[in-house]
Amino acid sequence: MSSVNINGIKDKAAIVGIGETEFSWDSGRSEIQLACEAIKAACDDAGISPHQIDGLVRYEMDTNHETLLVQTLGIPNLRHWESVSYGGGAGNAVVGHAAAAISAGFCNYVVCFRAANLRSQLRLGQARNPERIAGGAQAFAAPWGNMAPVHHFGMFVRRYMHMYGATSQHFGWVAVTLREHASRNPRALRRTPITLDDHQNSRMVADPLHLLDICQENDGAAAIIMTSTDRAKDLRHADTPILVEAAAQGSGPQNDGIIYRPDLAMAESVNTAQDLWARAKLGPSDIDALMFYDHFTPFCLLNLEAYGFLPFGEAKDFVDGGQNIRFDGTLPINTHGGNHSEAYIHGLTHVQEAVRLIRGTSSSQPPKKSINRVLSCSSVAQLSAAVVIRRG
Amino acid sequence: MDEREQSGKSRPMVGPLEGIPLPDLERLPDYERGFWDASRNGELRIQRCLACGMLRHLPTPMCPHCHSLKYEWSEVSGMGVVYSFIIVRNPVHAAIREKEQIPYNICLIELEEQQCLRICSNVINIAPEDIQINMPVKATFMPAVDEPAVVLPMFIPDLKA
Repeated sequence: MSSVNINGIKDKAAIVGIGETEFSWDSGRSEIQLACEAIKAACDDAGISPHQIDGLVRYEMDTNHETLLVQTLGIPNLRHWESVSYGGGAGNAVVGHAAAAISAGFCNYVVCFRAANLRSQLRLGQARNPERIAGGAQAFAAPWGNMAPVHHFGMFVRRYMHMYGATSQHFGWVAVTLREHASRNPRALRRTPITLDDHQNSRMVADPLHLLDICQENDGAAAIIMTSTDRAKDLRHADTPILVEAAAQGSGPQNDGIIYRPDLAMAESVNTAQDLWARAKLGPSDIDALMFYDHFTPFCLLNLEAYGFLPFGEAKDFVDGGQNIRFDGTLPINTHGGNHSEAYIHGLTHVQEAVRLIRGTSSSQPPKKSINRVLSCSSVAQLSAAVVIRRG
Repeated sequence: MDEREQSGKSRPMVGPLEGIPLPDLERLPDYERGFWDASRNGELRIQRCLACGMLRHLPTPMCPHCHSLKYEWSEVSGMGVVYSFIIVRNPVHAAIREKEQIPYNICLIELEEQQCLRICSNVINIAPEDIQINMPVKATFMPAVDEPAVVLPMFIPDLKA
């Protein structure tokens, strides 16, 4: 057996608290304040004091550094810290990293968080290239107007449509379903239901991507608290242990510049999926609900295929009409409304929703089945991460 | 914005976009200069590993296939097909907005010399509605509007193909 298939973190760490700020287009406060508010809320949910935090897994992109958090939260001794690179790509990776640190005994209580004013300050959806570029992938893209994520990812979407016959309507059904979930979620930023016509009539941003295919930009913060499975038995949610069963990350091949991968009709998460399933000794049929990083709606289809829920090219039929992926369908996706309609916090809200589903507290709790195991994964086309969490 | 001509189609691009980021020729890494030097001479040259012969783009200091550090700038025909493309209809950059440069296309061109050898560019002289995957195209060279020393490989539909 390959050593990458030894599941060294299996069930050793638990997610014991979740917390967030309100989501908005202008938070009116600093990113460090947002971070601390979300972390305090997650500590309250877990039933611990922020002073008990001794591990920290940041997003590399986050402006809130370790010393600032130690100072502001009054952490007496931070024993372990690390940061995971990229934005959405770090979304589920932070959970795997925290589970590894806990399994290794590096620390007792780890916080994973993401706090950012991604609408009122740095907008990642806009061109962010300097006027003159000192080489690298940008220099071979921006001079022809290829300057934003929607441009890079649109290339995948066009190719996917060409290969498999998926249409904008199929992506529209994802948008309609996510918005329906958000309409039931009091935290969500966009709660007004939309129709397929609304999606089709929404502004074309980068053909084939309509405005309503694209995740929103917003301000806000989210945090989760993790600890060892043993220690979780003494905390507030001891009656519903939520364990990290397996995690995986993947990147490559040919990922720099995003668009040079050999096959743009396939999410790069095919590698991550293989590792995850082998490591977890699980497969798609073991999963009750899905949290997909929905930076762009088509990536829900690409990931249904990459993770083996459907053969390549068949996700379009599965999402058509939306019934299968609704909260009351056979395979619910993003019951919180996702990046698309709840909030864009680089995937950490997806992990939080997975926790709620297992606790039975989602605003769109599937009515007919108990949720025992959730796959949460991010695929941002140059790198991906996934985590399986389950009821203990 | 998005002016439709009588045909009902949007206007074609006729040259490079104006006012947007360009490479700084003074600060480029050594292993990228050959691309821009060739383009200024009206040639499309791609890095070719001198040990294993593989062409590669994006440029890198080491061959990702055989790990040799030796390469040449190999002239390619400039012929290829559109592998994928988008039509930008909403500006994300001030110069695109202010100079009303939408719609414009971004195409990923697969060059004929090697499978999966692709470069990013624009296809000019064609309405965006007429661009298709697998459409044959050929390279042409045009100076950047804001910095004529930077010459951009652009592509035109290859009607003879």
